[in-house]
This record gives sequence, structure tokens and C-alpha cells, in this order.
Amino acid sequence: MDEARSIGTGDLRVLHHPVLGDLPVSRPVQITVDGQPLLAREGEVIAATLLAHGILVCRAMPRGREPRGVFCALGRCTDCLMTVDDEPNVRACLTPVREGQVIWTQAGLGGWEGPAG
Amino acid sequence: MKTTGIAVIGAGPAGIAAALAAAEAGASITVIDENSAVGGQLRWRIAPLRGLDEALDGLPACRAAETLRERLATAGVSVLAGTVAWGLFEDGSLAVAAPGGGFRLRAEKIVVATGAVDLVLPFSGWTLPGVMTARAAQVMLHLHRVLPGRRVAVIGEGRDAAELVTDLETAGAEVVLRAADPAQVVASGEGRVEQVSVNGEQREANAVVIALGRQPDPELALQAQVDLGYSARLGCHLPLRNELLETSRPGLYVAGEAAGAVDLAESFAEGRLAGLAAAGASPERITTAQEKLARARSPERSADADRLRPWASDRAQTETDASSPWTSWVRAATAEGRDNSLDRVALCRCEQVTIGEVRQAIEEGALTINDIKRRTRAGMGLCQGIFCTRAMALLLHAERGIPLSEIVPMTERPPARPIPLASLVEIEE
Repeated sequence: MDEARSIGTGDLRVLHHPVLGDLPVSRPVQITVDGQPLLAREGEVIAATLLAHGILVCRAMPRGREPRGVFCALGRCTDCLMTVDDEPNVRACLTPVREGQVIWTQAGLGGWEGPAG
Repeated sequence: MKTTGIAVIGAGPAGIAAALAAAEAGASITVIDENSAVGGQLRWRIAPLRGLDEALDGLPACRAAETLRERLATAGVSVLAGTVAWGLFEDGSLAVAAPGGGFRLRAEKIVVATGAVDLVLPFSGWTLPGVMTARAAQVMLHLHRVLPGRRVAVIGEGRDAAELVTDLETAGAEVVLRAADPAQVVASGEGRVEQVSVNGEQREANAVVIALGRQPDPELALQAQVDLGYSARLGCHLPLRNELLETSRPGLYVAGEAAGAVDLAESFAEGRLAGLAAAGASPERITTAQEKLARARSPERSADADRLRPWASDRAQTETDASSPWTSWVRAATAEGRDNSLDRVALCRCEQVTIGEVRQAIEEGALTINDIKRRTRAGMGLCQGIFCTRAMALLLHAERGIPLSEIVPMTERPPARPIPLASLVEIEE
């Protein structure tokens, strides 16, 4: 059963939880992050998939290309802005995964012409 | 323009209680919440509830969220989820950005129940990926079932930190280090958190969680320029309210954490009172709700609610500033010379403005938060200042000797959230 719950969707999953119970089996959703295919769980947000796979960086800031990742996870801080399906400045902590989604780490303020920004 | 009897902004414990109470009293209600689902903080917390009502007590918060969703449905209250109320204008209308388009909403009464965010203070390495707020950690652990890291350092020593440590350990993470004060913490690593040290004691870690407590977020009420009072307990300004939780602007109520409530039972009781009052319920019902609220309030909170004063009127309140939990952070951030490793640390995460730059602005004459903002851009970013204005106030207090009670919050203007321009274009008058 553990395999069915966790298969490919990230090493940091909490499979068993004393209060919440076992992680329900979910249909895997395939997304692509910086060209790398990743399996997500249906219904979760992009930031959760990334963190489950140990990916912490979402964007590089305009000044000094300083890396940032999920900070508030509630849509307020905008540290997790990424370029999703060619749209820049998408909050990874609020945006659900979708089959075939193409996501890039965002450079600076992002742009409409791909990941370079 | 759409119309409603009562608009409830925020569908957490206070907002839900307000909507249920107002529905009981027969009002027409519109509930608006920016999250994708109803429940607010109940959704991502698992601590067992106490003091809400018989059916809810003992349930983990996240299960209670499901029960409350059912109650709203039974009461016929519709909730607009994924919808942002971003402006409250002088004519009393709300501006709303919804997935299906933007609109304006005129409500006879408004209950602001927008909750709180985590209180954060800058420390060395706090912008590194892997550093997150307590709520972010709870969202990941409980909503998405992901560990923030296997080895985690926790900052804070109050009840939020205690809850977080329990949450992390319950889910199987290891809490490798704890710190009472952010100024003692140094997070470091190559592009992500790899080590954390507290007062020189170093551990390998892959996450740092900031659990210093809450920062009330009554932004729409601030846009409406309601009268404020200073809370020495929270170190910030809060809307002043009468015994019905109504602000200085008639018909505008603030309930729950947005008004400084401490725990879930208090937020729930405040929501119920505000909902009944807004709906014009009978005096008997209102008295019962007031009594229930008095029982739900902790003694410190009751004292605080009694002591709130208009911001400029009471210098005596500054006495409490000296022993506040952020005293040592202020001392570290304003230390002179080589001791001050915080000068190069970002104070404003969004605009990447450092503590040193803000201190320089103060040295050059900035006397208010608005003044610092105009000189440095700190507080001008996408978070709308919610994560940096506290640190600005503390620096003004330390460098200029201005009592915290006299440091006016930043001027709040619409939009309260980043919204797509399209949602402005779509608005129909």
C-alpha cells in the first residue's frame, strides 16, 4: 500500500499520520519543472509537489538573483512566483497542479517569452 | 453593483461563526474568502478544539472545518471561495475579484474576519529557501502531507511554537534546534538551508520554521480608516470596537484574530457576536453571545481589550515596551559596528531592502513607516508590508525613541492583494 501512496510523488510525503490517518491513494499527475518530469498528487498545489521532491527554489529575485522558495504558503509573500504554462508571476503555493503543466523557475520579474525573463 | 445584507470577509472560525449567527437571525449574507476552500486556519491545524461548541470540541481543527462547511450549507449560506475582497471604499462598497470576473458589492453591514498572518522578524539567512512561517509548515504538513524538511529548527517559545513542534514530530520530522529569539539564529547554505546555528550551537538542518506568534491583519478596516488603539500585548495597532464589535465606522465590524483574538474559541465567539449584532438580533441573543465571549477570553486578552486606547493619547502604555518579546531582536538589529551582522539582512523581502538601509533612512530623518517606505521602497512590494512593517516600527522605536503606541501603521489603500488588471476591466457599475 505504501508504494501505491507514494510511488514517484516525492520522498518527503507523510504516508502515515497519527491524527490524519494514512495518505489516501491519489491519481498521479505529471508536470514538468525546468525540463524535468515530476509526479504530483491530484489536487495539490505546485509548491507541495516541489517540496515533496526536495525542490526548494521557486524564483531568483531581481537583485542579485537571490534564490527564494515557499515562505508563507498562503499567497501573501509572493516568494514562490514561478512561470507556469508561459504565464509569469504565478504563485506556486496557490496554483493546483494539472496534467502536462510546464513550470519554470522564474528569473527576476519574469517575462512572457519563456524562462529567461 | 451587486447588493447583500451582510458581507462577511473571511471564512475562518470568526467569519463562519458570524455567517451562521447572522443566518440564524434571518439576514441575507455573502461570505467571501480568498482561499480555495472554506475554514481558514481550521483547514491546516490539527490541534483538538476546546470551547467552541459541544459538537466541535475534541475534534481536530481540520475535521471541524468539514462540520462547519456542512452547517453553512444547511443554513443556506453561500460562500464565494477563491474570491478576494480587495477594496473598501468611502461609499461603503466593496471591490471584489472573483474567478469569473470582478464586481462591486454593496452591503448594509460588513464583518471583517480576515484573521492574522505569522509575525516574522528578520534574521541572518531568513530569505533562504527552506525558511518558512509556522502556517506554511502546517499547510505543507496537514493539507498536502509533505514534510518541510526532515531536520527542522523552530524559532519561538510561545504556544504557536509549541504547537508547531508537536505537529512536526507527529508527522515524523526531527526538531534539531530551537531558538527563543530570531536575532540568535543564523541559517546558511548554498541556495537553501543546510545549517542552522543558534548562539553558536550549529546543526545540519533543511528547514527553519518561524513560530513567533500572530500579526492581526484587518487591512480592509484600515482602508476604511477606522479609529485604532495600540495593543501593548501584540505590539501593534488594532481597530477600536464597541461592545458589539462595531468599529468607529457604523456598520463595519471586525471579529476574530483580525481584531487581536488569541485562540479559536475566542475568534468563534467574537464572530457569533458580530454576526448577531450585524443582523440586528434580539437583545437576549446578543447578551448571551457577549457572555459566551467573556468566558472564551483569556484574562490577558480581556485586560488588553479594556486597555486599548486611541494611538496618540496615552504615552503611559510605552512602559510595557521595555519588556516585550522583541527587545533582544531590537538590541541586535541596532547594535553599532562589527557586532551588527543584521545590517546586510533584508528587512523587506519583496523589495530586497536591508535593515541597514532602513536604519540609514531613519538616521537621515525618517520619522514614520510611510516615510521609510517613500525613502527606501520597504513595504512597497507585493506582500503589501504585512511581513516587514513590524520590524520598521521596532527600528523607529529603537533609533528615535518613538513609543510603539505612537507609530502609526502604514497607510492602506486598495488593492489589498495583487489582482489581475482584467478584474478591474470587468467591473460593471
